[in-house]
Amino acid sequence: MSDAPAELARQAAWQKARRDLPWPEKVRMVLVMRESIAALRRTWPSAPGSTPTGRDQADRGETTK
Amino acid sequence: MKDVAILLNGMREAGVIRNYALFGAMAQVRYTEPVSTFDVDFLVDLPDPERMDALGPIYQYCTRLGWKPEGEAVRVGDWPVQFIQAFSVLTREAMEQADEASYEGVPFRVVRPDHLAVIALSVGRLKDHNRVVALLDAGVVDREALERLAARHGLTEKWASFKRRFLDE
Repeated sequence: MSDAPAELARQAAWQKARRDLPWPEKVRMVLVMRESIAALRRTWPSAPGSTPTGRDQADRGETTK
Repeated sequence: MKDVAILLNGMREAGVIRNYALFGAMAQVRYTEPVSTFDVDFLVDLPDPERMDALGPIYQYCTRLGWKPEGEAVRVGDWPVQFIQAFSVLTREAMEQADEASYEGVPFRVVRPDHLAVIALSVGRLKDHNRVVALLDAGVVDREALERLAARHGLTEKWASFKRRFLDE
């Protein structure tokens, strides 16, 4: 049986470690995530937003224009 | 991303834009865990915002440097980059008061986390609320400061709604 509090503590520590990485390293991780997501979406072509370069206007706050 | 920073600084020095600041998900990444995003967004201040093709000089400048338009963005290395004219008092303030950061030794202006959170609050979808939560969770903004900034920009109701939904329960 797993020790849930210890697992959660480890997860929190890992999350904090990622947060504290240098900015360029985090940007490299974003790039890897982007490529992984694009690869996954190619296996499901009808997925919403399946075009990786599609713009997300609300993410940029444009709905408040 | 270093190329993007060099491009924006060059654009400002050449007078193509008066000012800029990185915002959106890529700005958030500076302050929180990495999050998924496909592109890089900039708030910009244009010298001639009333002209018909206000962003035209930006596209021309990028093309001269070999960075090609791609849809509504310009592809700079790995990243589609989009330029958004600061469109409200809030976004203009966010751009003007941005952090003077450094990216691999290159100066790079980035919207502060409190402005980033309040811009997200103003949009108000679930993913925007997630951004506010992530910034709070990272400890880079505090509730009272956000509440004051939101109030100053007429977003008291949106803050109250967010607080009820995500912080009070």
